[in-house]
Amino acid sequence: MKIFKKKAVITALAVGLIMWMGLVPSLAQKPVTIKFAHFYDPAAGPGHAMCVEWLEKTRAAFEKENPGIKVEFEWAKWDEIDIRSIRDYAAGIPHDVMMSSPQLMPKHFIAGDYLDLTSYAAKWLKARAEDINWTPVWKKCFPLGVPLGIHTRLVIYRRDFFEKYGLDPDRTPEDLDSLVKYAQLLTRDTNGDGKTDIWGLGSYFGPSRATIELHFAPYIWHFGGKLWDPETKRADFASEAGVKATRFVYDLVNTYKVTPEWAVSGTHDDVMLLGFLGGKYAMAAGWGSYWIGPVEEKGWTTGLFPPKPWGKATVADIFVTPTKPRAQFTNAWALSINKLSKHPDESFKLIDFVVTAERLIDYPDAGLPTLLSMWEKPELQTDYYKKWLEAAAHGKSMPYTAHYGELADTVAACLQEILIKKAPIEATLKKFEDEYNAKYAGE
Amino acid sequence: MSSKKGGLYILWEYKLPYLFLLPSVILLIFFLAAPLVSGIYMSFQKISLRGISEFVGFRNYRLLLGEGRFRNNLLFSVLYVAGNVGLSVPLAYAAALLITGKLRGIQFFRAIFLIPFIVTPVVSAILFRSMVNPSFGPITALLEMITGKHYIILADSTLAMLTIIGHSFWRSFSFIMLFLAAGIATIPTELYEAGKVDGAGAWARFSHITFPLTKIHLTIVLLIITMWTLQDAETVYALTGGGPGYSTEVTAVRLFKDAFINFNLSYGATIGVFLLMMSAVFMVFYFKLMGGAEHY
Repeated sequence: MKIFKKKAVITALAVGLIMWMGLVPSLAQKPVTIKFAHFYDPAAGPGHAMCVEWLEKTRAAFEKENPGIKVEFEWAKWDEIDIRSIRDYAAGIPHDVMMSSPQLMPKHFIAGDYLDLTSYAAKWLKARAEDINWTPVWKKCFPLGVPLGIHTRLVIYRRDFFEKYGLDPDRTPEDLDSLVKYAQLLTRDTNGDGKTDIWGLGSYFGPSRATIELHFAPYIWHFGGKLWDPETKRADFASEAGVKATRFVYDLVNTYKVTPEWAVSGTHDDVMLLGFLGGKYAMAAGWGSYWIGPVEEKGWTTGLFPPKPWGKATVADIFVTPTKPRAQFTNAWALSINKLSKHPDESFKLIDFVVTAERLIDYPDAGLPTLLSMWEKPELQTDYYKKWLEAAAHGKSMPYTAHYGELADTVAACLQEILIKKAPIEATLKKFEDEYNAKYAGE
Repeated sequence: MSSKKGGLYILWEYKLPYLFLLPSVILLIFFLAAPLVSGIYMSFQKISLRGISEFVGFRNYRLLLGEGRFRNNLLFSVLYVAGNVGLSVPLAYAAALLITGKLRGIQFFRAIFLIPFIVTPVVSAILFRSMVNPSFGPITALLEMITGKHYIILADSTLAMLTIIGHSFWRSFSFIMLFLAAGIATIPTELYEAGKVDGAGAWARFSHITFPLTKIHLTIVLLIITMWTLQDAETVYALTGGGPGYSTEVTAVRLFKDAFINFNLSYGATIGVFLLMMSAVFMVFYFKLMGGAEHY
């Protein structure tokens, strides 16, 4: 009986061992699936469609190099992806890699939904770390995210329209006065039906964060003001500078009539990207570096996306925003890891894979290179990219407030009321500023 | 004697039916009452992004009511509901009378009328947005052709409000019509025949038979459409984003923005309580307006 028991135990152990040996490799081989949350929607226009193609290409390359990891995409709207992360974190819904905005990092910091990436970045070799962490955008993202590029903005213009209407396409406006004069000259009714067909200066004042970031902030900075005071932690857009900036945009639409009234409705992509590519503007302000690709695809530049050493702006060229600080809003999309991720190591592996020159060089939404080594390449030494670099060097960020979304909504709604209803500028700015401060002053 | 044996006695005497009711009551408490109480409780708190909450009494209510924007949110909600209900219910009633009649090809129209109801709300909102696009929208072009003026519909406060009402009407119409048609179809034909024998004309038959007997359906459909419209954030947000300015920012859109875009849960909860109160007011108003329902 004893011998029988012993045999049974040995047999059970042997079977167990064999099963374990068979099971462990099969478990190890089971691919890990990580989710990659992005906001590119092929139906949203050519810019988005190109990014979706790039994502698919990147996923295929990553999975080929890492056979044990599968990547699944998740989608959220670009101005909702950060809040989705915070909301899902509160609800206990895990995500892995998520695209994120530097201007919302204070909100993420408070919510605690993103993983601190310090321990991962510490493993980078010195050269690799220095190649990534040189940019000012890095400081806005890290340690909750790694920037994918540098997004800055400037003014795009049609060289052919300049020539047609007697302007030298190599001499662009140097200040706001000349910007308005150029815009007035370029605003045209081409078929004589009494309606404007070409608007001198495309801008956007719709219900989106793009309004405050790209079409209001540069002007308030020009007049020496700020949107939000970091000392008092109060909105400050109704200051004297704010009034002057608002007067300027009001005049663009209602006095000089160089910017269409419909700039207050629709989406930013529809009004700006599709508007410019559709030939509606001679100049368009707040033009993002993530739209270099669609302009190339349109055939208005050659060899600029992906950049080539001989790249040239043939029809659509650019100049730095002609304000005093020559500053435009500068940020980037970043990649973050959700704190509830069950696969943070694999998630960082994906981030590390994406943030390489090989991947970022043809990422349409990257804007300008986040890797220092990429700037030394001859293809980025062209006049065109030097202008982008100048714009990036002057770039400014949005206020570091946890209520940035509310601030953006408030300013957009306020401008719309002034532009459409022609509400008194000073009183309206004050009314909206007071409403914001009543709730969020002092954070 | 029996009065002394009130509540508990009855409960014990009829325990079996109450036991059968118990699961539903528990589910109702769990899924309806608990979130409601939790929402009201949240409205008295300040909740940080980390989820740390602090009791602040009526602060959220005070701040919101002191805001011109919020008072407008409430007003726009009433306008939105009144516009949609005022437009869709009478027209849908007329259409319901039409499709319950013995007309040729009515089956085809029933199917056609259903289309707005089966299209996803956000999709139909985006469709509407493209229809009022200032450059290529057919509605804009039509308006321009009629009046000779160029319109930027979503940049005009009044036209933007009319657009969201129009869209809501387009969506609600078929549901109301089918609901009322179902009610009309249940009226026994004998009543109409008796009316005819008594010499009642079409109007008399409608006002003395059809309308009184469909009052209950009308009340229910009014309530349903009012709740839908009042709580409609998705289509308004997709169409106008609450703009221009805040001129189409109805209460539900404000709630959506505060709670789910800017993640101010306490304000979101407070706005939710206001929405609840508005719904209750509409409910009482409809019941008062319609009086008792007729039965046969």
